[in-house]
Amino acid sequence: MTNSWLALYIAYSIVWIGVFGYLAYMYLRQRRIEKDIRALKEEVSKHGK
Amino acid sequence: MKKSRLGLMLTVVALAMILATTYLALYFAPLPQTSVGAADQILSSVEGSKIRVAGFVSELIYASNPIISDSHVQIFALADFTDYSRFAEARAHGQLSERWWTINPLVVEVALDELAGYSGPYPPFSLGMNLSAEGKIIYGLLTPNSTVFDHFLTVCSFDKVEVGAGPGEFGLVTAPVAQKIFYFHMPSAWVSYLAFFVTLVGSALYLKTRNAKYDRLAHSSAELGVLFATIAITTGPVWAKQEWGVYWRWDDTKLVTTFILWLVYIGYLSLRAAVPEHGTRARVSAVYGILGFVTVPMSLLSSRIAPLLRSSHPQVIATSRGGLSPEAGLTIGIAVIAFTLLFAAMLIKRVEIAESEEELEELKRVVGGEE
Repeated sequence: MTNSWLALYIAYSIVWIGVFGYLAYMYLRQRRIEKDIRALKEEVSKHGK
Repeated sequence: MKKSRLGLMLTVVALAMILATTYLALYFAPLPQTSVGAADQILSSVEGSKIRVAGFVSELIYASNPIISDSHVQIFALADFTDYSRFAEARAHGQLSERWWTINPLVVEVALDELAGYSGPYPPFSLGMNLSAEGKIIYGLLTPNSTVFDHFLTVCSFDKVEVGAGPGEFGLVTAPVAQKIFYFHMPSAWVSYLAFFVTLVGSALYLKTRNAKYDRLAHSSAELGVLFATIAITTGPVWAKQEWGVYWRWDDTKLVTTFILWLVYIGYLSLRAAVPEHGTRARVSAVYGILGFVTVPMSLLSSRIAPLLRSSHPQVIATSRGGLSPEAGLTIGIAVIAFTLLFAAMLIKRVEIAESEEELEELKRVVGGEE
């Protein structure tokens, strides 16, 4: 494989890793937030009772 | 719920389109013709290098040029990049052992009295005629009349010129395949500019209405803008290493202004992270988001006024004449649409997360207050 092909694959990998990495980050972040919200809501409802 | 579904649908469509773009870029689209030696400083560094060219005569220039003073047959090779179906390419040896030169098409001028044995009417070439030659580069400079991509003028002194020889004589060679990075680099850069524009609009609307949803929009868009700007700013040097021989050039206006743009929006995100109080954070970052946008036109226009600012970054959007080949146009068109859709999908999702984050903050306040 020439340097030029390698450079092309590196650049395309940067794009895909960047896009999928950010999508995964958003997914995990949302899951964590939802989990925290559920826990806090339960706590609030317990205190309410 | 509906928004989530729309976001998911857009994401799937965009990713499928990006996958299609990857395939098209690799197997269908031609190499985008950008110049290797677009910058005069690079050209001047290769003066004296041996050069071999093979191609077609596509335009004849009758004017003489005082730059030429060598005793050999002399030819002007003007990089034009407007005709993709008929191109000639040159590979320079010696100092440029691994670098390809793209000269497309050849525009030739011959000093008639120096063409040994020729006695016919001027010029001895006709349009469409094959031409191959070998010699050395005696002068190179960046011309100010950039159109599709950067133009550069290379004055070559050729020891041997064969008119009408088959283009296979020296072998037609291709530009580096790394040129295809363009099909992802350019859409990433475009989306980052779009994202920062959305941040500008969101910031302005927040200051006008004080509605938190505009602050969320501005913040989410800025984060995505930084993501795509990072992709553009990291894929660019990978290309530059292949084309220019270096990863980065601090004397290139386009590169420097884009780096400043990236830093400004990193600063925007840092500012938001540093201010804990919601109202103050939204207000301060809205002002920053508006002021920071000034770096976008700076970066966007820097390669268009390259002759003034010395940028060898390829100018992508055609200006007065020429443009991309239909295949390249189709591929880049799909890529731009795909990245824009992906941005829209990510923005919907990111705003949704920002809403959840605010809900979480509110709940934390409630729980904290109760305790």
